[in-house]
Parts: sequence; structure tokens; C-alpha cells
Amino acid sequence: MNNICLKSIDKDNPSSLATYEEMGGYKVWHKILHGELSPEKILEELKISGLRGRGGAGFPTGLKWSFMPRNQEGQKYVVCNSDEGEPGTCHDRDILRFNPHSVIEGMAIAGYVMNATVGYNYIRGEFMEPYYRFEEALKEAYDTGLLGTNINGSKVCFDLYSHLGAGAYICGEETALLESLEGKKGQPRFKPPFPANVGLYGKPTTINNTESFASVPEILSRGGQWFADLGVVNSGGTKCFSVTGNVKNPANFEIPMGTPFSDLLKLAGGLRKGRTLKGVIPGGSSTPLIPAAKAMKMTMDYDSIEKAGSMLGAGSVIVMDDTTCMVKALTRLAHFYYDESCGQCTPCREGTGWMYRVLKRIMDGQGKSEDLNLLLSVQDKIIGNTICALGDAAAMPVESFITHFREEFEYYIKHGKSMVESDG
Amino acid sequence: MVDIEIEIDGKVVHGHSGENLISIADREGIEIPRFCYHKKLSVAANCRMCLVDIEGNPNAQPACSTPSSAGMKVHTKNEKAKTAQKAVMEFLLINHPLDCPICDQGGECELQDVAMEYGSNVSRFNEGKRIVDDKGIGALIQTDMTRCIHCTRCVRFGAEVAGIVEMGATGRGEDLKIEPFLSEGIQSELSGNMIDVCPVGALTSKPFRYEVRSWQMNSIQTIARHDLVGSNIFTQTHKSKVKRVVARDNENINETWISDRDRFSYQGVNNENRVLIPKIKIEGEWQDTSWDDALDFATNGIKKHAKEGSQFGTLASKNATLEELYLLQKFTRGLGSDNLDYRLDASNPYNAKVLESNISLTELETIDHALIVNSYLRLEQPMINHRIRKATLNGASVSTINAKAFDFNYRISHSVLTSPQNTVATLSGILKALLDKGSQTLPDYLNTVTVHQTHIDIANALLNAKHPVVVLGEHVNGNTCSDQVAKLVSEIAKASDAKTLNASLTGNTHSAERVNFKPDNGKNALQILSSDLTAFALFDVYPNFDCIDSENAIKHLSRDDAFVVAMNSFDDESVLSFANVILPIASFYETSGTHINVDNIAQSYSASVKSAGESKPGWKVIKVLADLLNLQGFDFTDSSQIADEALSLTPSISEIEVPINNSEMPNVTTVWQYTPYASDVVVRHASSLQQTRIGQMSEASVCKATAKLLELSEGDFYKGVPVNINESVAEGCVFVHTHLPRQLGVV
Repeated sequence: MNNICLKSIDKDNPSSLATYEEMGGYKVWHKILHGELSPEKILEELKISGLRGRGGAGFPTGLKWSFMPRNQEGQKYVVCNSDEGEPGTCHDRDILRFNPHSVIEGMAIAGYVMNATVGYNYIRGEFMEPYYRFEEALKEAYDTGLLGTNINGSKVCFDLYSHLGAGAYICGEETALLESLEGKKGQPRFKPPFPANVGLYGKPTTINNTESFASVPEILSRGGQWFADLGVVNSGGTKCFSVTGNVKNPANFEIPMGTPFSDLLKLAGGLRKGRTLKGVIPGGSSTPLIPAAKAMKMTMDYDSIEKAGSMLGAGSVIVMDDTTCMVKALTRLAHFYYDESCGQCTPCREGTGWMYRVLKRIMDGQGKSEDLNLLLSVQDKIIGNTICALGDAAAMPVESFITHFREEFEYYIKHGKSMVESDG
Repeated sequence: MVDIEIEIDGKVVHGHSGENLISIADREGIEIPRFCYHKKLSVAANCRMCLVDIEGNPNAQPACSTPSSAGMKVHTKNEKAKTAQKAVMEFLLINHPLDCPICDQGGECELQDVAMEYGSNVSRFNEGKRIVDDKGIGALIQTDMTRCIHCTRCVRFGAEVAGIVEMGATGRGEDLKIEPFLSEGIQSELSGNMIDVCPVGALTSKPFRYEVRSWQMNSIQTIARHDLVGSNIFTQTHKSKVKRVVARDNENINETWISDRDRFSYQGVNNENRVLIPKIKIEGEWQDTSWDDALDFATNGIKKHAKEGSQFGTLASKNATLEELYLLQKFTRGLGSDNLDYRLDASNPYNAKVLESNISLTELETIDHALIVNSYLRLEQPMINHRIRKATLNGASVSTINAKAFDFNYRISHSVLTSPQNTVATLSGILKALLDKGSQTLPDYLNTVTVHQTHIDIANALLNAKHPVVVLGEHVNGNTCSDQVAKLVSEIAKASDAKTLNASLTGNTHSAERVNFKPDNGKNALQILSSDLTAFALFDVYPNFDCIDSENAIKHLSRDDAFVVAMNSFDDESVLSFANVILPIASFYETSGTHINVDNIAQSYSASVKSAGESKPGWKVIKVLADLLNLQGFDFTDSSQIADEALSLTPSISEIEVPINNSEMPNVTTVWQYTPYASDVVVRHASSLQQTRIGQMSEASVCKATAKLLELSEGDFYKGVPVNINESVAEGCVFVHTHLPRQLGVV
């Protein structure tokens, strides 16, 4: 456990350059600076490793990097998405706090591979401590000549800047992040064009998640195959999971892909005494809820979770036991998306408010029997019709909560109170 | 771009690779509902109404932002597409007030139209609807933002076309509001176009509010007459009144936009200050009379006071129609006079042939450098300025030589502040710099000219450009060396291989030039108003505003031995003081006519409404006057016959010599510019335009040094206009920008 991105977590002075180098950090970067590692070789290793984007979409990182027109004239950028705002997720925060140099090295390698000489790390606005830690690490890297122009006479150039967001969830959407980085209002762009062609300031840009970048140095130093073998087919390597909710020891756990959910639950101390598992949101609040029985059978990898009816997402496991009122939980989630919708496109702007208001009415004891079908219909009209994935994210929990726990919603509507005693 | 074949609704159609599906569909006449998409604005893809089914794609995709690729199969009306479109429609309507019965957009509302096909007859939304505060954005645009569907067309119009970012989307989610960033209201001279682009009733015309339902009006194709462009418009009329003016597409002239002046000036025509009945002055007293008596009175007066033709002079408005100008010059010359002019605001009426335009409106978009001389082009000629702005968006640079630094809607790379008395020297410097670069021999008048670095910078900008243009604007008219300025601009253009655009003479001056409405050997406007002529015809002339030396003009026309026939559309105190007879004539939209624009395109139009009161179209009045005076060649029964005759004439093409001698000028000069909403008599009477920030402008700007010289301080009035001391003005001049008449300044 905690072998790659979180491997410094128990060390003294975990975020320092000395600690990082002690663990073998910047070896890959030095190899690159000495001209001993070609971009092609790096891409090959990444593809072998099976590393998939850790931000939630799970797109193969090596493939993504190969889309960049590296030989095209003009400025190109790499951007790290550290706007970790998905409810239930907090592992990128720990990577920035405890292992910032892995992100720096990962981004520098990405810059080298894609011929991008400038990188930005966009850090969630509330992450003051991680931001300062990252800034300190950045200073160390510059002071020791690891970054800059023509680094150590290698002709390799890479400048890295961090940028603190301003508290909007939507800025975690990669194109909204770019808008925000450009100083504009954080609103997603429509695609195509994709950032690889028209990204930051209109230039080719690759955006990866913090954990993705942090995994790269280790993959390259120990080999793609080594990493792939840690996990299972289609889900190479390890993954950080943030386990929260009704468990005894909520925490971040970096474990091999394919680990059974039940093992992860044990790592988190299991449920509290006398409680039974009701449901699990496996990948952050945007991913569908999985009822207990199915959850206990799944393993923590892309395919298995998809088979269980949800998504691995950002690896944000929210555990709910039998004291959880599903109506209340869904209403809270609906309020979150209603509040965070950027308002740009119609279905999300209008639909999130509609869903929240109906749920709120049910909570207030004013529910009507047709409300559940109305909610299912409204979420269905949002899904797939919006500019970005926030619309889908807002819709999917509604669908899964009502489908799996319909009787609980019906009870609430009929009796004006929750079926779950302790919460009602 | 590659020509590709795609299939839309089973029909094989062609497009360019990467072209948006919606523009291919539009070309093919395949209807796709939309709100945010507008052919002249950037794609936003935010309304989601144009979702269509593309085979192989799990989700419906917006036709506006999806690039086409060969072999694509698109369905715009199958179940998947319709389901997506209806979903969006439902979302758009849940918070819309559905107050169509009291909405001015009703009947011409895109939301209403699309809802007919894609909406449901029952709302499933039973929660409270959103209500949005209205901040108010000025006198022209009425806001009802509760109706807004957040398509951002107005926002994009401001940022992309008007070039002044005024509206924006603030807040997020359901609280997203379209509103101005600043509380000062909208300031663009093109703001009214936001009404046209708004697909719902959120932005409607304020002067038109609750006047009449849109379907009760007739729409008549006509031409806007205020500027050099002749924008294509529809007048929308009800019970013989123009109720509204909207833009009419003409890609070569105004594209799809019109200026606020063209849109809202119709209010002037409906103003109560119109002359409705013929009037004669007997023993100093005005009395209303019949047309017959008035015409007799006029012709007898002319016969009596102008025994010889040379005692007669004619002045006409630059906004008169081609037909009116042609007949009026024929009338004047028929009486044996060559004293006629339309250049009333000129200190030194120069011949327009000194500097002729040779660039078209569409060509202006392709320039890579513009040198703007003596012009606040944005306010003078909004649509011409818009073309130059489009060029700047493609990388063109702009330099200016002006008496004041103006607020353009593009960046100015070189700006030279030059007073009128130094303009000839500045232009000579630039010409010398240009000729030096080309190692050409200098004409004598350049020998003593000093070349400054700024002159070299501008010369370089012109020489480095592949398609430069030099534009001359209105301020030159007040310059006593205007002919030399025009000549130098022409020489600069020759030396730098630049095109020229003469925007100094606005309105319908191309018609006036075409019919030679200026003296060959007789007296020009200034001379007519200062020599011993005894009979005058004034055609829609209001000397206190229109004449450069208004005080002297009025004094001269008020002489006891002067007989003045005023053909006027508006009542005017000063005209009443000196005229002997007032014949009421039709105003804009009340007469048929022809406007010749800067591209020399003659656009004819018919009357939209009948003329007010007993007023008659100007050409008919002139024709009857000519008949009564037994002049030959006035057998016209229709204005189109006049236009045909006028346009069959070939204008003379004689070269005009203009010696450059930098004649002596005063130490301090005045540049007097009217706001665009005081540029002619119709717009001066348009009340809503007068209430805008542009309309209210009244400021005599002067720099510290000059203010000291003139002993002016803040709070003083210069020629009746409040003084503003700032350093944006060239030394040695006062720049007056106002809606107040010149005459006021004298008092």
C-alpha cells in the first residue's frame, strides 16, 4: 500500500526535495536532461503501463500524450488539474502536501515528451496548505536547477507555475479550468476543438490530473510493465482511493487496481458496530450509487465497477450504512450540483434547479406521487445534452438513488418523513 | 477547404470539411431550431436547441458547433433528435414567464415560434419561477430580463461586433444574469442591433414599447439616409406612421447591422415640430395659407427680387434625395443662376474631386492598415468604422491624425494630435517621409517641411502595409485649408499605394456631386451667404445648425431686400425669422428618392408613409415652382423619371489644381463636431437618441496651455458649450463635440 504517489506519506519532512531524491526522485528527469531517454521511449513505457487518467474519465495517459502535435511550431502547454473538488475526493490534496515533487517531475517529463516548455498547476482555491507546499517544492526545484530555460545546458526548457483557483467546482472540468487560467469566468468550452489542438491561450495543451502526473516518474523508473502488473487487465497499476462516509477510519489508500471492495472497506476500519452496508458511491458524487450486495462483490478497477453499474471515477468511495436516509443524501447531492452549475447551457442551468426543488419539496413533506417519475424524466433530459459532464454528473445520482431505493422515496412522499429511523 | 458530401435527413448535401452542420443545413433549407447560433457571431453552443442525431454518436450533438466530416449521416428530425430538442425546449420554458400577450416580441419571437413545434401544451414545472431584476440600460433598449434565455447573443454582439463589452453574463447556475457590467448604460453607437439579435423579448425597442403589435404593421423596404453607407432597412408602419425601423440584410452594404442613428431617427419624423401647412409672411406676420397662394407668393417673390438669375442662390441639405438635388440644380440653373451649394458646414467648400473614394465597403475589411485623418469615424460613419474594426480583428493596424484622441473600438497604433492649423504641416511631413523612403523628387512645397519621428512612423506603417487605406473625415470641413488637406491625403495615398476613402462629406453628398450641386463659376455656400444676392431658395436648411458661420448666414438672409423661399420639413425659429415663405416638404420615409452611397451604389426607395399634414414630397414642390416660373424640362410625373435623367448624366472629370501653401491661420482654432444625433434635422428631433450618452455629449475640450491662452477654466462656457480641460486635445485648438447649435455659441 501507498507505494507510488503516497509513498512519502509516513516519512519525516515528506514534501522536501531531499526526501524525494532519497526515494529515487528526479532520476528520470536527470536521464532526460542527459539525453538518455527519448520521448518515443517514454510514450511506449506509458502505453505499456496501462496508466489511465486518474481525474475520472480514465483515458489512457500515454495515448493522450501522443495526440499532442509535438512537432508543431509555437507554444504548447501542459496543465495539471489539481482542482480536486469532487465531493468525497481528497487524495490529490495529499499528493500535493506530501509528494509535490512527483507532480513537478511528472509535469516536466510531460513537457519534454510533448515539447511544451511551460506548465501550470491549477490548484483548488481552498487548498491553501497544499498550494504553499507545492510552491515550496517548486522553489526547491528551481533553486537546484531542475527547471528553467536550457536546464544544465541540456537545451531542455520547462517552466512551471502554480495557480490557485477561486472555489468553483466547475473549474475542475478541464476546459473551464483553461478559461479560468486565462483569467476568464470558469465556464466549459464546447468540444471539438479539443485542448490538444486548441487549449490554453488557443495553443495545443495537455491536461492531466495530479495523480496521473505523480505516477509517471515511478512508472518510468521501474518500467511500464512493472506498473501494469501491479493491477489487472485494463486497469494497470495502483490507484489512490479516498474512503469516506460511514467507516471507522476514513482515509486515503493507494492500493493495486483490482483489490476487492471488501478489502478496501477493511482497510478503512470497516463499518461501525451494529451497522450494515446500504450502498456505495465508488467514484465520487457524480458516479451512480451501487447497492450493498453488488458493492461487496466488486473489485476496485474500471471494468468491475462498470459492471456493477457505476464508474471508478476519481476513486472517491463514499460508504453509506443503514442509518443513511437516501432521500436526504440525494437532496444534498442535488443541491450541490444546483449550486455549482455554471449556468451556461440550458439543460444543466434549468434542470439542476428543477431536480433540487422537487427533492426539497419531498423533504418538506410536500411530495407528490408523480414526482419520482418526473425526476427520472428530468434527469434523462439532462444526460448527454449538455456542454460538459456536470449535467451528467448531476443527473446520474438521481437515476441511481431512485432506481435502487425507490421504496424509500415513495415512503417519504407518502408519509412526509424518512423511512430511516435515526435520520428521520 | 475540402468539398465534402454529407447526408442530412437522407438528403445528400455538400459542405466544406469542418464547416458547422447548421450552416450547411441553413444553406440547404433544412430547418434546425436554434437560439444562440447567429451567422454573424461566434459559436457558443449554449442553448442546446440545435441538438441533432449524428449516426455513430451516442448523444445528440449541437449542429452549431459540430464540424462536418465526409460521410457524416445527420438526422435533424428523427426521434432521438426530436427528443433532445424537446427536452431543451422544456428546460427553456420552465423559467420563462410566458407573458406573450404583453410582450413586444410576441408574434416575432423565436422562442414563441420554436415552442409551437417543440413545446408542450402543459407545463410539468410546478415550482416557483425565476424573476430577474431589470437595471435599465438607457433610452433605446427596454430590458425584461426575466424573459432572457441566456443565449448570450447580445454579449457576443458587444464583444465581437460593437467592440465595446457592455453586456456580460454574471453569476452562475440559475442565477446567471445577462446584464451590463457598468451602471452607466449602453454606450455603443450600434447598440440597437442587440434588439435584433435577441431571440426573445428580453431586449426590445424602448421607443416602440407597447406602440402596436408586430403583426399589425407593414414592413417596407427602404434606405437609411443619414450617412454615406445607405444601410438597408425596413420601416414598419401602422396607420401611416413609422413605428419602428429594423435592419434589412445586405451583405455588401450593412451586412445585417444598422447604426442606432438609422434605427431610432424615425422618431424625428413623427415629432410634432413638423411644418404641416404652407406659410407666408406678410408685413412681418406669418399666416397659414393654401398651397396655391404660397406657390404664387414664392414665384412672384423670386421674379420680383431676382430680376437677373445671378441675384438668385440656392442652398440644399446634404441629406436631400438625388431627385430633389437634381431638380433643384436644374431649377436654379434654369433661372440663370450658378449660385448653389450643399456644402454648408465648410469653411472653405472644397471640391470633392480633390479626393475621391476608391475603396468599397467590403474591400475595407481586407485592409491591413488604415490612416484616419480628421475623423471620429466610429460616431461619424458607424458602419464604415465597423468594416475597419473587422479588418483590425484580422490584424490590421490603425493610425490617426486628429485634433483630439478619440475613443475608437479598436487599438490605435500611432496617434498624432494635430490642430487644424498644423494639419497641412503634419500631412506634408508624412508625405515627405514617404517620398524620402522612395527616393522620389520632392515637390517644391515640401522643401521647407520638417519631418518628425511620428511622421516617419506613420509613413512606415503605410509602406509596410500591403493594402493600406487613408480615410478623411468630417473635421476637415471646418478647416480653411480643407482643399490642401484633401489634396495632401490624396498625395499620401498615391505615394504609399493606398486606397482612399473620403468620408468628410456625408449624407447623400454622392448624389449632390453626381448632379453637380455646386457652382461651376458662380457662388458657393459661403459666398451666397455673404454677397448681395436678393432671392434665395433653401431646401431643408436650418442655418443655426447647418451653416458654418451661422450668425452671419442668418444676418445675411434677414436683410430687408432679401426674399427667402424655405422648403422645410421642420419648424425652426431662425428660419421663421428670415424666410418669406415656408413650403412644407416631406421628410425621411415620406418621399420616394435615391441615395448614392460611398460605393457609388444608387439605391432607390419608395415612400413608406404619406407625408405629414399638407406637406408634399420635395421633388413635386420644386417641379411646380419650375412650372409656375415657366422653366422647361420639368415634365416629370414620377420621381423615377427624375432619377433616370439624373443618373444618365456623366459627371465631369476635370483635374483640380490645389496649391499647397499652408496659408496663414489663427493661433487658436475651433473644431466643431456635432454628435451623431445632431447631424441632420431628422435625427435632431429623435427624442430617444437625444437621451443617450452619445446624444447628450456636450463638451469643449481644450488643453491646459490653450485654455490659459484663451483664459478659460473648468466651468466656463466656450461658444455656449461647457469647457473641459484635458490633455487629449492638440495644442492650439478647442474641440467642441456637442448637440447644441452653432448659433447658440454666438449669443
